[in-house]
Amino acid sequence: MADDLERPGGDAEPEAPPHAAPPSIWPFAFALGIAVALIGLIISWPIAAIGGAIALVFGFLWIRDATREVRGTPSPAPPARDDEAVELEDETAARYPRSVFLEGATLGIGALIGGIVTVPALGFAVLPAFVDQAYDAVDLGPLDNFPEGEWRITKFKSVADEPEDVSRRTAYVRNNGTLDGQASFTIISNRCVHLGCPVQPQGLTAEEVTEIDAESGPVEITATEPSGFVCPCHGGAYDIEGNRTAGPPVRALDRYAYSIMDGRLVLGEPYSVGSVEGEGAEAQITAYKIADPGVHVDGLEQYFYPYVP
Amino acid sequence: MAKLDNRERYARYKEDVEKRGKPFYPYAMFHDTVMSLVVVSVITALAAIWYFTSGEEPGDAGLLGPRYTEEADPGTTSFVPRPDWYFFFLFYLLRIFKWPESVILGTVGIPTILLILLFALPFIDRRRERRLVRRPVAVVAALLVIASMGILTWEGATAEEPSATAGSVLCEANDLDCEGNEELALGADVFAEAGCLSCHVYAGEGAQNIGAPELTTVGDLGRGEEYWVEWVRNPQAIRPGSPMPGFPNLTEEQLQAVAVFLEASTGGG
Amino acid sequence: MEALVLAPVNWLEERSGIVGAISYFLFRKVPRGTNWFHTLGSATLTAFIVQLVTGVVLAMYYVPDPDRAWDSINWITNELTLGWLVRGTHRWGASVFIILLFLHMGRVFLFGAYKYPRELNWLIGVAILLLAMLEGFTGYLLPWDQTAYWATVVGININATAPIAGPFIADFLRGGTEIGADTLSRFYAMHMLLVPGALIGLITLHLYLVIRLGVTPPPWGEDAEPDEPSPNGRPRGAREGLVDPKPRGNGGPAITTRSGVEE
Repeated sequence: MADDLERPGGDAEPEAPPHAAPPSIWPFAFALGIAVALIGLIISWPIAAIGGAIALVFGFLWIRDATREVRGTPSPAPPARDDEAVELEDETAARYPRSVFLEGATLGIGALIGGIVTVPALGFAVLPAFVDQAYDAVDLGPLDNFPEGEWRITKFKSVADEPEDVSRRTAYVRNNGTLDGQASFTIISNRCVHLGCPVQPQGLTAEEVTEIDAESGPVEITATEPSGFVCPCHGGAYDIEGNRTAGPPVRALDRYAYSIMDGRLVLGEPYSVGSVEGEGAEAQITAYKIADPGVHVDGLEQYFYPYVP
Repeated sequence: MAKLDNRERYARYKEDVEKRGKPFYPYAMFHDTVMSLVVVSVITALAAIWYFTSGEEPGDAGLLGPRYTEEADPGTTSFVPRPDWYFFFLFYLLRIFKWPESVILGTVGIPTILLILLFALPFIDRRRERRLVRRPVAVVAALLVIASMGILTWEGATAEEPSATAGSVLCEANDLDCEGNEELALGADVFAEAGCLSCHVYAGEGAQNIGAPELTTVGDLGRGEEYWVEWVRNPQAIRPGSPMPGFPNLTEEQLQAVAVFLEASTGGG
Repeated sequence: MEALVLAPVNWLEERSGIVGAISYFLFRKVPRGTNWFHTLGSATLTAFIVQLVTGVVLAMYYVPDPDRAWDSINWITNELTLGWLVRGTHRWGASVFIILLFLHMGRVFLFGAYKYPRELNWLIGVAILLLAMLEGFTGYLLPWDQTAYWATVVGININATAPIAGPFIADFLRGGTEIGADTLSRFYAMHMLLVPGALIGLITLHLYLVIRLGVTPPPWGEDAEPDEPSPNGRPRGAREGLVDPKPRGNGGPAITTRSGVEE
């Protein structure tokens, strides 16, 4: 078995196959186009359009190749190696259409079978992670629990239909009083925007915990007096508004949108923050769609991440 | 030409092995079997040591760590994550890149470059030479890789965490008489609980590598208690642009106690 | 009596050729210098098989549901007879497997065993190393304790920082925008089906190439370089008549290698 490897890749060229129709590469490009189009369906329409265009162009080229025989255009001959080979080609030309048909049919049927099985399976593995991803509204209980100007650590159940110990999240909430007659809150996520570790409040934290049975699940509220936030993993530090002050975080801490319903504080979707100017109710926030930790939302680096699912 | 040479040499190697080699079984296979026995014994021994020196309680570590830690709590505000030991080098690499612009280097850049080098190795080093004395570049590169991985792993394994230490531990570590001085004890407690150790190192406790100065001997500066009260309350008022956050929420009493504690910290004196 | 033993063997050989294949594998020649360093590869394979066996048994008791995963690990470790041994073996076997992979890779590097014609086997080896680390990463989450959960959070977010594709890889790994029940079950599926399947395939290929291409002798002694002059000036392989030393005018030994071409 090993002995036949005396001269691996020896200089004798392998015999040319009996007929020399160059296998078309268009099917692969066509498949790539389809794949891009499918991905585009999830991400954004422009990509789907590009994918569709690729598929269309290469599909056309493929069909043109496959029907070359019928249309009577000669296929481009491979560079002649020597006279013998050319003779051989002439000889096999008579059997050419049938073998081309069989080759194409085998490849096509194989691709079809593969596609029927793998496309749905792959789609099932990938797509659910990207579609229907929404954040549930979370009831944090009556406003009385959030005295003006003070910080509270809130732990709550973030997803309605997942068990509590999977979907528990933490946010730091401060009541900023009112702005133009509307209640104003600063609600900062405890997910470090470096790599997602839990950030800790820097300052003394009360021992007693207020527990509420809110509509969307139990909520725990603890008083704290942070002067900033710190991530213990890799040393990220933030000021009280969530702006980075030291360490590797790439943006300011994420925040939650909120609304007041029937005198209760209700959390909405989280969003990412480039930076915060000013403080409390007057803060000017540059908000972006929620992004993974470590993903730049502003500056030059944002172009590394053109699409955020 | 080089290719042809390769093939000829390989053919010669085959010929040589055929002529002078030994059969795999039982000569080489005996070594393999003994080595496998060692491997299986080591694994079993590790498992036994791990189990019999640890307890049932979560986090109850023996010689080889705990059986498990507490059940996952996605809402925690106090847990400090750690990877498994073979990712320690990456863990420490991430601590080294402590500027936002360089995060991507530590997370993706360096690992990707290493991976590409690893894959490309046989195409970079195409020489036939195998003797170590004649491959100085390869040997030096190997030693450098081993050394840097070793150092990173070691640093990762011993990196200090911003730990929730009690004030009394700090006092003892720095030879302070907190038991006989209530204000000093209060200052140490506030220092430990307010998160100072998240950035500063104090007598071997707390977070390294953030860039904040070590405070073990900060009393030697002789700044005086009043200075520390003002500094801790609002550092920017004294030095604008200081990255340290102020602690305006601490009471006058707590600030004073922290100032006493800092002033008393003179490193074993 | 002998016929009684040989009959089934011959029956099998006639219908499959497997006996011949096995005896080829066993009695193939390896270089004379083959030594203890060469056992690292098979030791790694042993560690991998230990992982396969203990992993299958653990799968009989482990529950990949975030509500019960931690409890089932607790149950396996503390209550089930010999559960601690199987889990401990799997857990420490993983570390030993990774260490042996690195040692084996270091050996291959120092022996220059990645050189012609074994480049492809080096590539397969690196792929095996990558998949093994992926096994480590996916397996680390399964106990669903604090260490596991947060190490996975960080691990996934490291992937998320890759330009362009990062956020998509992260969402795929999590099975959504947040870590949840889906994350655990897909890590479980990857850990026990997808990656081990790929590993078995690659290891088979790796072994096939080792057998086909032969073992690299150590880079010292006379096997170091079959047709280059050894330091003392005596041509290597002269015994076999592979090299012919010709006397030169001044009488000193001159060496002519067969190919006569240096790279």
